[in-house]
Amino acid sequence: MFGYIGKILRVNLTTGEIKTEELKEEDAKNFIGGRGLATKILLEEIDPKIDPFSPENKLIFATGPLTGTTAPTGGRYMVVTKSPLTGFIASSNSGGFFGPELKAAGYDFLIIEGKADHPVYISIKDDDVEIKDASHLWGKRVSETTDKLLEEFGDKKARVACIGPAGEKLVRFASIMNDKHRAAGRSGVGAVMGSKNLKAVVVRGTKKVEVADKEKFMSVVKEKIKKIKENPITGGGLPNYGTAVLVNIINENGLYPTNNFQTGVFPYAYEQSGEALAAKYLVRNQACFACPIGCGRVTYHPAVGVTEGPEYESIWAFGADCGINDLASIVIANHLCDELGLDTISTGTTIAAAMELYEKGIIKQEELGDAPPLRFGNTETLHYYIEKIAKREGFGDKLAEGSYRLAESYGHPEYSMSVKKQELPAYDPRGAEGHGINYATSNRGGCHVRGYMISPEILGVPVKLDPHDVSEEKAKWVKIFQDLTAVIDSAGLCLFTSFALGAEDYADLLNAATGFDFTADEWLKAGERVWNIERIFNLKAGLIPEKDDTLPKRFLEEPMPEGPNKGHVVRLHELLPKYYKARGWDEKGYPTEEKLKELGLDKYY
Amino acid sequence: MVKVKVFATLRNIVGKNELEVQADTVGELLEKLYSEYPEMKKELEKGAVILVNGKNIEHLEKLDTKLKDGDVVSIFPPVGGG
Repeated sequence: MFGYIGKILRVNLTTGEIKTEELKEEDAKNFIGGRGLATKILLEEIDPKIDPFSPENKLIFATGPLTGTTAPTGGRYMVVTKSPLTGFIASSNSGGFFGPELKAAGYDFLIIEGKADHPVYISIKDDDVEIKDASHLWGKRVSETTDKLLEEFGDKKARVACIGPAGEKLVRFASIMNDKHRAAGRSGVGAVMGSKNLKAVVVRGTKKVEVADKEKFMSVVKEKIKKIKENPITGGGLPNYGTAVLVNIINENGLYPTNNFQTGVFPYAYEQSGEALAAKYLVRNQACFACPIGCGRVTYHPAVGVTEGPEYESIWAFGADCGINDLASIVIANHLCDELGLDTISTGTTIAAAMELYEKGIIKQEELGDAPPLRFGNTETLHYYIEKIAKREGFGDKLAEGSYRLAESYGHPEYSMSVKKQELPAYDPRGAEGHGINYATSNRGGCHVRGYMISPEILGVPVKLDPHDVSEEKAKWVKIFQDLTAVIDSAGLCLFTSFALGAEDYADLLNAATGFDFTADEWLKAGERVWNIERIFNLKAGLIPEKDDTLPKRFLEEPMPEGPNKGHVVRLHELLPKYYKARGWDEKGYPTEEKLKELGLDKYY
Repeated sequence: MVKVKVFATLRNIVGKNELEVQADTVGELLEKLYSEYPEMKKELEKGAVILVNGKNIEHLEKLDTKLKDGDVVSIFPPVGGG
């Protein structure tokens, strides 16, 4: 096989068994790799109904056929498992250098099964794979864990993916951190790793990824890099200001969620924008493996030293969503999450929900004791509770369950800004209907990167769609964006390339690497297959479309109080049936037999 | 007069975050800005997002979108992230 190594590494932490298996070419053709193929494996190997923290759950580190190649941004990998936050499929994407290193060691996938009886880590040096004791690392933060492991491993070129204290304590939104600051952030994949007593995976590889047509691949790569460099977003805005370049445009459009989504306009947005970050704290840009964009931020603040980020989402989650305008406090909060192994979006949004519950008198100060009041705008509160969440101490234990379980425990789930129990990111859907549908239908729950409709609805890329339109046309675009994203995630590329590249470009790269010779439409069809197999996993896990494909009541019933979207609610009931139709599902949101046959998935559901 | 807010690279070109301009349409406003800041035209060649009171002119009357006293026009070069 080309593009792929053709090998899966399987490690059972209960029995200690380590073995390798062949990757089937037919699977690769149908599900591409990464997110898609890992979901197919998970669906075949576990009962989707199991407890995510049980040893029966599996944790899959998955690369794609372009991971580890010179394809622009070919450094991504996914972590796929059953999520302890949503109870549905989790697939968290990360960059940095860990994914390519796993592939260089000779594996497309690392499947982790069972549960170790004491803290361990997995050490991989090409064919030499060992389960080692990690008792001395348990409780340690991410950077210390990484440094210690690199020292023990004896090769500074090795790469580490690990959990922090939050993953060990089964915080439902704990992340897996690789290369210290890159996160497979969402859906609690770090908590699943913690439940297996697995502190880290250290990997060093010396093999090369072979592509089908070297010359062709080189010329295609060169052409796509040129497109990315010449595009004003991937060649200008992102390298200059990082992802936080979005702060001002989202706020000016009136959908920058503020104080737990109570409004969409934050008066202090400029103070936490990409422009402000560049002027105050930026040391230099940082690129992931094979990336010509370099949106990563190496930053410095005296309280934390040299760090990375914060990204747009993290700035918002700790900033406007918690009513905080002080960028320094946000930089520190982001650093804390990286060190403790916490997803920044869920952490910020859960604290924001707690702040609203507190200000509405539902959470009382007596319950918090001497701990700081959960008031919007209080930076001391923010840092205090981040630490408490990671350690599950005091009220942090309740917050560690996520905003939905927290709000529900007080009888007020409506204050959790989440979908399928996963916290929503930095765009109020009352200002972008297509993005709202994407939230409501994302297979991993509240998420912006499963079909980033902000791009056409707000940024005007690749087309300019009216954000308030709820036509069939809009529904079709949501489907296309979701399917194309599934291709990109499964291929091992970064979603940001899609500001400059389209389906044809991805087909060029994938074909030259794999030799499969599919049309762009056929690759998109594979993306649709990925979307549907995720849906099947969720349905088998207990998803009820009527109940679960929805948005918090706030967006459906409370009109936006101010700004350009004043008076708008999300017209979900109008657009959702059109979306189901565009997907070829029945009117209740179940894939039809006809659609499943068309995709070759009928044997799964 | 309308209030014009500029962002990202446009701030370096204009040298400030906000300015006031007299114009009846967005097209006229842009012409005035381009003649004063020729580099701005170059910067926006590959696309721009222009909002009048937070609403994208693409979904209003595009360059013919009328302006009145006190309107706020926000101008962005192409940006993206996530």
